[in-house]
Amino acid sequence: MRRQRWFTPWLLIAPAVVWLLVFNLWPSINTVVLAFTDAKPLGGGQFTGLANAERMLDDEQLSYALINCIVYLLVCLPLLTLLPLLIAVLAEKNLPGITFFRTAFYTPVIASAVVVALIWNWLLDDRGAINGIAQQLSLLQKPLPFLTDRWLLLLSAISLTVWKGLGYYMIIYLSALGNVRRELHEAAAIDGAGAVRRFVSVTIPGVRNTMLLVTVLITVSAMRIFSELYVLAGPTGGPGGRDMSMVMLIQLYSRGFTGNLGYASALSVLLFLITIGPMLLLLRFNRRTAES
Amino acid sequence: MSPREKAGRYLLLCLVLVITVGPFLWQLSTSLKGLSEDIYTDTPSFLPTDPTLANYTRVGEQIPVWDYAVNSLIVAVIVVAGNAFGATLAGFALARLRFRGVKLVFALILATLVLPGEVTIISQYVTVRSLGFADTLIGVALPGTVAMLNILLMRAAFQAIPSEMDDSAVVDGANAWQRLIRVGLPNVKGMLSVVTIFAFIGAWDDFLWPLIVLNDPDNYTLTVGLQYLDGTFTANPRVIAAGTMIAFIPIVIVFAVLQRFFFRGVASGAIKG
Amino acid sequence: MRAKIATLAALVMLAATGCGLSGEDSGGDVDVSGEVTGKVSLQTWALKPKHTKYVEKLIDGFEDKYPGTKVKWLDQPGDGYSEKVLNQAANDELPDVVNLPPEFALPLADKELLLDVADTDDKLKKDYLSGAIDAYRFPGVKGAYGYPWYLNTDVNYWNADLMKKYGLDPDKPPTSFEDLVAQAKTMKKKSDGKMFLMSRKPSWEDLTNAGVEILSSDGEKFTFNTDAAAELLDGYRDAYADGLLPDDVLTDAYLGNSELFKQKKVAWSTGGGNFINDVKVDNPKLAKDIVPSKALDTPPLYVQGLSVSKKSDNLPTAVALARWVTNADNQADFAERVPGIFPSTTASADDESFSESDGSGAGDAKKLAFESLAEAELLKPVVVDDAINDVFNQQISLAVSGETSSKQALDKAAEECTKLLND
Repeated sequence: MRRQRWFTPWLLIAPAVVWLLVFNLWPSINTVVLAFTDAKPLGGGQFTGLANAERMLDDEQLSYALINCIVYLLVCLPLLTLLPLLIAVLAEKNLPGITFFRTAFYTPVIASAVVVALIWNWLLDDRGAINGIAQQLSLLQKPLPFLTDRWLLLLSAISLTVWKGLGYYMIIYLSALGNVRRELHEAAAIDGAGAVRRFVSVTIPGVRNTMLLVTVLITVSAMRIFSELYVLAGPTGGPGGRDMSMVMLIQLYSRGFTGNLGYASALSVLLFLITIGPMLLLLRFNRRTAES
Repeated sequence: MSPREKAGRYLLLCLVLVITVGPFLWQLSTSLKGLSEDIYTDTPSFLPTDPTLANYTRVGEQIPVWDYAVNSLIVAVIVVAGNAFGATLAGFALARLRFRGVKLVFALILATLVLPGEVTIISQYVTVRSLGFADTLIGVALPGTVAMLNILLMRAAFQAIPSEMDDSAVVDGANAWQRLIRVGLPNVKGMLSVVTIFAFIGAWDDFLWPLIVLNDPDNYTLTVGLQYLDGTFTANPRVIAAGTMIAFIPIVIVFAVLQRFFFRGVASGAIKG
Repeated sequence: MRAKIATLAALVMLAATGCGLSGEDSGGDVDVSGEVTGKVSLQTWALKPKHTKYVEKLIDGFEDKYPGTKVKWLDQPGDGYSEKVLNQAANDELPDVVNLPPEFALPLADKELLLDVADTDDKLKKDYLSGAIDAYRFPGVKGAYGYPWYLNTDVNYWNADLMKKYGLDPDKPPTSFEDLVAQAKTMKKKSDGKMFLMSRKPSWEDLTNAGVEILSSDGEKFTFNTDAAAELLDGYRDAYADGLLPDDVLTDAYLGNSELFKQKKVAWSTGGGNFINDVKVDNPKLAKDIVPSKALDTPPLYVQGLSVSKKSDNLPTAVALARWVTNADNQADFAERVPGIFPSTTASADDESFSESDGSGAGDAKKLAFESLAEAELLKPVVVDDAINDVFNQQISLAVSGETSSKQALDKAAEECTKLLND
């Protein structure tokens, strides 16, 4: 058995490392440095120590944002890990016209934010489709305030996230399903396993790696939730800013000529710290299951 | 497959279809509506009563849409090529080769996913400018040319290859390159096409970054150029819808061409059941 | 509404690479005299493609008048303009002549990146309306930092069809807030709660009009948390509780007041003098039903202007170009092309043609808007940026929803806004 030459891996990984350093790590280090300053886009940048961290402690909007991100994560994670997989299994078979369906399922991912906003407002408005139908069927006396109540608005944004995520994670799963060997399916079928059994005992183990990656991606994107809430509630995050997310908050402070880059950077670092936790947990979980 | 199961599958497919495809049709419909048709009414008619392609020609009259599309295409090609190359190599090395520092590189890649990308936009601009690529299409393409997410996707794909296949190649005396080309690549076509799609869409749809990098409107990409349809004094939603449809079509083409690679295993014979 | 806009400048890096912002050439006299020749750049905001020909004609005229000059025209799209300008400023790439609304000009003037035209141009006062020049004078900064370009204001627009249908007389639209609430009640009752007249929450402008001092005189503190402001908010809160306002007012999502109006979901909107022409494109049937009327209180003044980069290599030509674009003839030309916007020059102030209406709704609106300009004022302090505006709106929404008292919300808003102001 021939060993690889020591530099081969580094040769393969060189472009990635260059990009990692120049376009990802370097700006990240900058962000960390800025977190300890009062920097502004057009000047400033005095070292202020932990002033930004102190400011976080009595930032009411930050506590809203943290709670919202956690709720978001808890609801989105199971839904977006499983639903796209089910759809991928459904769309995997080569039926006539399947290309059309697969492409169509992907459209929410690429639909422009303006269109998405129009559609969802049309659905969820107090005079919108859902309230209209519910009232006509006498299910509701008064319209439900989907877009103004704190929790309903969050729920609406979660639905929007799931809707947009279906196609995205579906195509990741589809490529993984191609690797699940069909002999396993056939063997299981011969053993008399039903569809549900085969899904649990063949499909899921077959895409385990991908599933783990998808959960990491969902975790990261749930903590970084932005456009869904922005589209439904606008930049202010609903009455009192109670539907702010971390990224919306970062955006609020970093935007424009007079943005407070120091505080926005400090918030970014906080976001980084709280996201890295669940990710490490996931990876540890992965290692343990891989060993068993 | 029994006819009953087939019918059931189509029923489910259609259900998902209704949920996902609505906005696309809405936009298509708006882009086909004539000037005499109200698009803001209580109950907008789903089908245009007076369908016309005039909005599409107006996009072409108002902005040099072909020039913008070519610019977008150049950026997209660079980004797709860079990711297909860089992410595949790195993904393979991370998944299949043992070397000192592999864990560190992997952890750093994972960590960079967490910081909101928008946060670093100005410092990225300074980097691109100091490399001499301000106001060029290369400068637009550069930061996304090797995306960290795509490396992770390729790594997962290489990891999914059963290790027996790889081991036999090692026993045969294949070196790393040969293993990549003979065993690796044929087994990751599916994920490679996913990466291509993500890279293409990412490059094609990006708005803020090209706007910041480019100064000269002649260099604008399609997403930036289409903003001109939304002017200070007038904006016609029909023409804007037509513009977004024009931007949408290349994505559909790329998707339709590449999607068959997801089904490597299926093409050689239908799964029973 | 392109949303993902978070700009964090890496100032550490800027400094490290030596391209940080420098104020080193501040203070000294700036010489703008000299030969008008050579290259200059002009940046406009979202004038392409509708007004491409107009701007090209302007530039040709300038190059003919000053042989040897060459103008490079950059037009930036509407979305993302503040990010674009901010990035240009942070990287020393500001074009020679830039179209900046006052709120963009303020932070740049503060950093001494713009030319003080009051200092370099003694004919400024003679040629431009003083109200428009004042828009480019900022508290705490000496001088004026832009040549006023076109002006606009708001008038009221009513959907006559809907008003008639639900028992209101479009010839007698509300003329005060009380009146507005009363008519909104009628409309709500007659339409069985389906139609709304009002669809706005109180704004900075409304507070100013209610006599509230928004900023302290030294410009360092927000002082709008007064009893008068609380009373105004109480009025809106009660109206919301009575179902006179749609839910949409509590969010700041894509649909604004004028969008709801265009969708015929509300019967009242405010808008600039060219609003009806705008509606005509989207919704030709609706445009015929729109009746304009004068603003309920003091109308707001909106100003666009051209600023000159202080670091321009070719100041004489840049100043000449800014002056050329904003001169009386060229502005009058522009206003003729876009009925509903108006020149900011003294020469056009008495132009009869603006106060004539062809009898159409759009013509009436133009006339009303022109007449309103005479009393229009800057109602929203120029220091109010996006972040301050967002924090303000959050608390106003909360007050209107009734979840906290108006005074509490205003106190909190004033405190937070002041914090942002002094950041």
